[in-house]
Amino acid sequence: MNRSKALLHYSLTRLALAPIMLWLISTLVFFLLRIAPGDPVDAILGNRADFAAREALRSKLGLDSPLIHQYFSYLKGLVHADLGLSLNNQESVSQIIAKTLPASLELGITAIIVAAIIGISVGLTGVAKPEGKTDLAGRLFGIGTYALPPFWAAMLIQILFAVILGWLPVGGRFPPVLETPKGSGFLIIDSIVSGNINALFGTFRHLLLPASTLGILLSGIFSRSLRINLEKVLNTNYIQAARSRGITEKNVIINHALPNALLPLLTIAGLTISSLIGGALLIEVTFSWPGIALQLQEAISQRDYTMVQGIVVVISSLVVLISLLIDLLIAFIDPRINY
Amino acid sequence: MNQLRGIKKKETLNFVIQFLAFIALLSQFSCTYNTSKEKNKPIILASKGKIDSLDPAQASKLLAIQLISALGDTLYRINSDGSLEPRLAKEKPQVSKDGLTILIPLREDVLFHDNTPFNAKAMAFSIERFINIGTLNYIINDRIKSIETPEEFLLKIKLEKPSSSINGLLTSINLTPVSPIYYSQYKGKFINETLIGTGPYKLINYSPERQSLVPFDNYWDEKPANSGINYISFNTSASLFNAIKTSQVDILLSNSIEDGHRLSLHRSSQKGDLIEAEGPAMQIGYIAFNTKAKTLKPTIIRQALLHSFDRELISEQVSYGLREPLRALIPPIIQVNNVPQWPKYDPKTAKKFFKEAGLCNNNKLTLILTFRSNVPADKLLALTWKEQVKRDLSDCLEIALNGVESTTVYKQLSDGIYEAVILGWTGDYPDPYAYLSPLLDCKEIVIDLCKEGEAVFGGTFWANKDIQKSLEKSESLLGNKRLEELRKIETIAADGASLLPIWILKPRVWVQKDISQPEFDGSGRLRLDMIRKKHE
Repeated sequence: MNRSKALLHYSLTRLALAPIMLWLISTLVFFLLRIAPGDPVDAILGNRADFAAREALRSKLGLDSPLIHQYFSYLKGLVHADLGLSLNNQESVSQIIAKTLPASLELGITAIIVAAIIGISVGLTGVAKPEGKTDLAGRLFGIGTYALPPFWAAMLIQILFAVILGWLPVGGRFPPVLETPKGSGFLIIDSIVSGNINALFGTFRHLLLPASTLGILLSGIFSRSLRINLEKVLNTNYIQAARSRGITEKNVIINHALPNALLPLLTIAGLTISSLIGGALLIEVTFSWPGIALQLQEAISQRDYTMVQGIVVVISSLVVLISLLIDLLIAFIDPRINY
Repeated sequence: MNQLRGIKKKETLNFVIQFLAFIALLSQFSCTYNTSKEKNKPIILASKGKIDSLDPAQASKLLAIQLISALGDTLYRINSDGSLEPRLAKEKPQVSKDGLTILIPLREDVLFHDNTPFNAKAMAFSIERFINIGTLNYIINDRIKSIETPEEFLLKIKLEKPSSSINGLLTSINLTPVSPIYYSQYKGKFINETLIGTGPYKLINYSPERQSLVPFDNYWDEKPANSGINYISFNTSASLFNAIKTSQVDILLSNSIEDGHRLSLHRSSQKGDLIEAEGPAMQIGYIAFNTKAKTLKPTIIRQALLHSFDRELISEQVSYGLREPLRALIPPIIQVNNVPQWPKYDPKTAKKFFKEAGLCNNNKLTLILTFRSNVPADKLLALTWKEQVKRDLSDCLEIALNGVESTTVYKQLSDGIYEAVILGWTGDYPDPYAYLSPLLDCKEIVIDLCKEGEAVFGGTFWANKDIQKSLEKSESLLGNKRLEELRKIETIAADGASLLPIWILKPRVWVQKDISQPEFDGSGRLRLDMIRKKHE
């Protein structure tokens, strides 16, 4: 089998396995939510409504039918890409996800860009003079940012830049005095498309603190990984050969070693962005960022079963998709990789 | 070598200059970005939590209720002095002699935001819509038999049985009229993202985290004193606190703000850095004792617990005195009398009662006190009471703490698994009945145990036939006679000691110095239409 055929076979296998994985995850989430204490009816009505009112609402929400019926009805909806209605406000789960997912993606992608810029710069500086002061500082930075509790770092950055210096807003995604540009839900893109410079600045200002915080926290993984990979690559024969031909060290690192050392970073970036979609909760909470992680947290606390199930399915699908794309991209870039 | 060093220095200098330029640019952004200091800019109101729905039939959260009250009007409003003020109604309700028919003449000059006229049919449509699909439709509780519209601007409500508390119910935000033309297109569904009401503002922009309200040009009453309200939500108390302190928002309105932040803002307002206002207290905090639990079955033990609770100390320790101690179930604004019914803190009497119950002297009662782990004040309260008991009654009583998330607590209350649990309650409408009935009502009583009813869902399982009689009787009485009957209920409830009222929480608002003094109505809602910028 030639390489492109093997790649196609690999992709199709992964895609074929994805529905099975999604079914397993959604089944697990469905039953775990029902086992968990608490009830959406209680979350909506509190501790006050009488039995009849509770039963009426339970019936209205479809929670009075046998569990197995609920499960098959949920699966049927899933097959037809229907994630159902939120138990909390009867709005379509797909619509709610469509509103919150772009916010999380915008934050996640910007954070990855920040992390990559900082991480690569720190990693490169360290490798240029191994065991020197800069290298030591870079390594400390890598460990420090990796170990920092996200909520603490976020609060500290918020206090410094939003409260003490007052340069940036405390939280939110867009200035309250401006009208939100309509479109894709990615406010940077929507602001550019609508040609609204104030909206673009406003979006940028709101994005800066959460994205930088998240980016700085992630940059440690990038810098450490890059440094280790670069160190390995710099000891290979082809690099020695390049050096012996009199090529400058800067040239050797940037043009010869870096492209090969960046490949593992691509995997890290892919995995990080997948985990960030649902995992940036503490940052979203601290900066009041209306993303999908925050939506998930609220849905869990309100026992909004359909909403939790919908979000988990969407996040899982994205993780599968991004992992596949990263694998394909790496295979495309690196001819040595075979599937 | 020197040349190399020179290049390095130049690179470092370049980096420093670029960094400083970036910082300068950033600070320039912050200069150009100022919330609403300019004239005719809307006022920015911030609070904690998202607003998932603006449908009056769905509204149950305080924040949604606040915004709906700006987008719509109700038939009546409770004034800050507790009196009933007609709004969409022309005058006070006319109740028939048998108490079964209520006639409400309506205003004739009111338009909905879609410019369709408000009339009796629109009001009937909105009430029926709430009865049919409303999340909290149980508050009407089969009280309404039929709604008729004998004239275009006359509403006739027929009741199943006389109900004095119906006046309070008519102020409920859930009965805010909505445009029948618009809402009848979505039969049986909630409309979360808009509200076509008759209020002083209309909605121009909605997302759960942000809403923009502008004055409604055809409003029938006095126009709002500001050019609009932009609402934004923050997720944490710290963010809200920081936003008001750094003038990024004009108004902070939240019951969920932490007590430490509340105190700091209170102090800022005392220094004159902010303006503070407080509304009538509608939210009460209490402890429910499970009278089915073996340890709490004897009334004397529950009475002892009532005497062992030092409200003043706990309020001071937990909220720096900002939560007022409460010895009644009904908030003072709608109090039936000014004499508190529940016993004062008295450790001697508590000890006496514990001894009478065969406790103390190497026979301690261990009370498992459950608190809602996601409510910070509950945890502090539990910890403080535990320590206070250790100080005062260590030979008779010991408190063990159990933190459980609120949704789980609500689910398990009726299972009777909690001995004592800290809870909160806000009446659905400002009337004593909206406090007494949900906490004490019982449909099926066996001796003093409730088998079915509110007392089961409230986790006390305590019932009293006299209370049931008085609750029913109070609905057919008016004026002082009704108040007497309600007072009787509180007295019996205090003797039964299934509930321990702790405190009341007043809604507080903080505004920037350039904004006028804010005011609340009698239902604890901020009057957004009266807020204005001083320089405008």
